[in-house]
Amino acid sequence: MKPQFARLPAPVVAGLVLAVVLDTFIQITWKLAVRDVPADASVHTTLRLVLSSPLFLAAMLAFLAQLWNWLRVLARADLSFAQPFTALSYLTVLGISAYSLHERISVSKMLGVALILLGVFFISRTPYRTLDRTGSGGAGPGSTRP
Amino acid sequence: MTGELTGIIILLAAMAVESLAQLCLKIGAAGGPMILRPACRRLTERLLPGSAAKPWIALGLFAYGLEILLYTFALHFLDVSVAFPLGSLCFVGVALLSQLFLGESVSRTRWLGIGLILAGTVFVTL
Repeated sequence: MKPQFARLPAPVVAGLVLAVVLDTFIQITWKLAVRDVPADASVHTTLRLVLSSPLFLAAMLAFLAQLWNWLRVLARADLSFAQPFTALSYLTVLGISAYSLHERISVSKMLGVALILLGVFFISRTPYRTLDRTGSGGAGPGSTRP
Repeated sequence: MTGELTGIIILLAAMAVESLAQLCLKIGAAGGPMILRPACRRLTERLLPGSAAKPWIALGLFAYGLEILLYTFALHFLDVSVAFPLGSLCFVGVALLSQLFLGESVSRTRWLGIGLILAGTVFVTL
């Protein structure tokens, strides 16, 4: 796993890891908050129940942290490079759900996990930043394009 | 059945909005609309004039809020085995917008990665 991460700057790696951790937390707290809402609840009741849930507040706080972290990642890396890494949170959520509900992971789920990991692996092999076509070496925030 | 169709339409709208939210956040994070390709910049000047970064972050957050509402409503109509793979279509939307608006080079390898992730989400929910 080391070679393809070696050319990624440490802040980008740390930001991507933190993004997956926070995303996992947000998804789980969000799921739990929405789970308490009856399926036949009206739009109004749904909003009232979700907005008053402490789980929803926890998710919103994590969302703020996620925003701060994500802006730092996007300042350094291509959007089309960074964003697919968030698919890793599908796997962490799946793992946590399966563990907490004592579910066995089926063969098709394992295949899905392998495909997602392979997909993220392929993306990690691509350059994290598109080079500026003006040839100045890198498309920094201050760079100009013709 | 009609409920499911409604759910799918709302979910697709949510993914389009999420992709746009990501684009706005990227513009904000990169320091402003100078990161946009010139042709796209002329287009966005009408929507959001000036070269400041912060309004783009605000716009991105607004779009995110809208996406959360849409997604929550969609989940009331859809089984997770449908919602989950459809939800990963935002990776396609983001890649398209990144290429179109930001001029990012979305290589074949990157598309292959996205395709594998999409396939993976289908199998995960089977």
